[in-house]
Amino acid sequence: MELFKDAHFDFLGRKWWFLLPSFVLILAGLASLIAKGGPRYSIDFLGGAVTDVRWEGAPPIERIRAALSSRLGGVSVVAAHDSTGSNEILVSVQLPATGDATAVRQTIYEALSTVSTGYSNRSFEAIGPQIGADLRRQAFMATAGASAGMLLYLGWRFRIVYGVAAVVAMAHDALMTIGLFSLLNQEFSLTVVAALLTLIGYSMNDTIVVFDRIRENRRAHGREPLAETINRSINQTLSRTVLTSGLTLLSALSLLFFGGQVLHGFSLALVIGIIVGTFSSIFVASPILLAWEQRRTRWTAPHISMPTGGVR
Amino acid sequence: MNRGLIRKTFIILAIVVASAFAIVRLPLRLGLDLKGGASLILKVHVEDASPEQQRDVVEQTRQILERRINAYGLSEAPIQPYGSRGNELLVQLPGVHDASRIKNLLQSRAVLEWYSIEGGPYASTEDAMAQHQGILPYGRKILATRPEADGRRAWYVVAGRPIIRGTDLRDARVAAGTMDRPVTTFILSQDAAGRFEQFTRANIGRRSAIVLDQEILSVPVIEEVIRDSGQIRGARNREEAEDLAVNLRSGALPAAIEVVQERTVEASLGADSIHDGVRAGAIGLAAVVAVMLSYYRWAGVNATLVLFLNGLLLIAALTCFGAVLTLPGIAGVVLTIGMAVDSNVLIFERIREELRAGKSAAGALAAGFSKAFATLVDTHVTTVVSCAFLFFFGTPAVKGFAATLVIGLTTNLFTSVFVSRVAFDWELSRRRSNPELSIGVAR
Repeated sequence: MELFKDAHFDFLGRKWWFLLPSFVLILAGLASLIAKGGPRYSIDFLGGAVTDVRWEGAPPIERIRAALSSRLGGVSVVAAHDSTGSNEILVSVQLPATGDATAVRQTIYEALSTVSTGYSNRSFEAIGPQIGADLRRQAFMATAGASAGMLLYLGWRFRIVYGVAAVVAMAHDALMTIGLFSLLNQEFSLTVVAALLTLIGYSMNDTIVVFDRIRENRRAHGREPLAETINRSINQTLSRTVLTSGLTLLSALSLLFFGGQVLHGFSLALVIGIIVGTFSSIFVASPILLAWEQRRTRWTAPHISMPTGGVR
Repeated sequence: MNRGLIRKTFIILAIVVASAFAIVRLPLRLGLDLKGGASLILKVHVEDASPEQQRDVVEQTRQILERRINAYGLSEAPIQPYGSRGNELLVQLPGVHDASRIKNLLQSRAVLEWYSIEGGPYASTEDAMAQHQGILPYGRKILATRPEADGRRAWYVVAGRPIIRGTDLRDARVAAGTMDRPVTTFILSQDAAGRFEQFTRANIGRRSAIVLDQEILSVPVIEEVIRDSGQIRGARNREEAEDLAVNLRSGALPAAIEVVQERTVEASLGADSIHDGVRAGAIGLAAVVAVMLSYYRWAGVNATLVLFLNGLLLIAALTCFGAVLTLPGIAGVVLTIGMAVDSNVLIFERIREELRAGKSAAGALAAGFSKAFATLVDTHVTTVVSCAFLFFFGTPAVKGFAATLVIGLTTNLFTSVFVSRVAFDWELSRRRSNPELSIGVAR
């Protein structure tokens, strides 16, 4: 069996067919983010208390919410995502300013007991607002640092324009994932940030595989117009791209459906990110490369500039 | 037969045996999110100390808290510095489900002092001041008793300096007190005993105040000369008396502490997480192997072999580094499977291209591996770069994930480039005349 044997798709010629839906989705995500006032941060970032409770039978979520709201502020009760269909709920509340987590914990369980005694607590977590603020700062620094690091590495291995194109593709993926999380009303937690950084790495992988091939083809066929070289390179690596993304997607889907509720946000971000990342390395990174080169040749000289080799 | 190939095979076999040995001999430690327990992050309030002393204050606090926890019977719970701020500590308590008692134990500063009483009781601070015409005599201070069950408390004027302090104690124990109310007894050091004897001799019949963390616990009347031992009443129950004894024995904290994060996980949730994680890994692996075998035929067997070897090496490396396997760690292992598959696909697709271009099996193999290698290095380095920035997070969970992924990438480079190549070479060397590669390409 061979996928895409001798494929000759004109990716660059049709780029708007693919870029337009992507822009629309990103705009929708941004609109959702603005309308909701930012991502739906979990208590990792905001501070607060969350407890995982297993209910005997279907949990009466409305009654539980009512019982808690009369005692505590900022109550949220959601069913935990789990493929096994266990009756777990996640209860999160705000911590009062002077509050002691122990008292909040007792209050939560008292409130739950008024609804039913048939429950068992599975985990409890309380995070002070200071820790949450620290994490937001760290998440920002980690993302910015990772982007800068990759830009530098690619600038050194290829040319700086390759780094810029790859980082723009990466930003596209991150923005898209954050936007989709907001559209799907999914919680943005610390593990989601970890997933985001992982898929930034994956997206970078895909982009590099294509870029490596572009560099190689430019050495072999230096006189060919860049658009053709890029198209040829994408086609040559297409079966690898689709196969790898498909297989990685299989692992991520397996985590999403069978990995348990604790990893749900992580796996969802990965599944979205792998799809978006594969897309962006073909339809975002490569057109940028082309646009840059075309502009440069138009301004400087009528002949096509020879690529520099980079370090091997 | 090629001697270089045999030597390489022996190297691989030796590594496999060593890995298997490591996995069997060294147990893989599980994190609290998998085996259940409580973890606390404490903030040490070092604001009062001078900048150069802050580090010492945190370290002293850490040691004292560790002594308290050891005395509590949780000896395998080291307290680690946490975060980048330098004033936070991480306490991990395996098997603890309700952290409230431990929190009280840790948060109490346990500064014990014994004062002589100069006046009182009064109904409030204002009342006390009024009795002294609004001016507190020099070197005196006002302290309140600990609130009773109904919230009542009383105020006393005491001497400015205590007669004895917590540092004067040599030992503290719990004893059965009168009327089922346990008391905490203590023994003073030699030096303090001398001072205390003088004080009690001079003040028989007068009241004194035993003060813990700036709250008066009890107001005993000195009935006789006391030399080196005394007792503290006022504990509400035996647990409280025990905790006080533990805290007095392990010493007072140099600074106040605050619990800024608390997390408890029941063992049942941890067991479910392991079960779910292993199941997700197994299903993901099975799906990947099935696709590889049907797509790449015999080369798919190579890839599968390499995949399992990578898993073996990864787990062996984790145990050797003494890593603690957490749930994010399991996610890291599953993602490593994804990366390993990518490397194999990258190499195999390259070999196929070379075969289609008309190269011989041996030539395609050599060209495929060497051309894919440059790309592999690039993709691995960029992922390591993004992992490196995950270490910006002080959170152990995220660090564990990043560490697992980095180790996995390293073992993956070895297995997918070196081991896979050796496996292919064996395949070729067995069929000497007109060798062909079974990699799913029709020629």
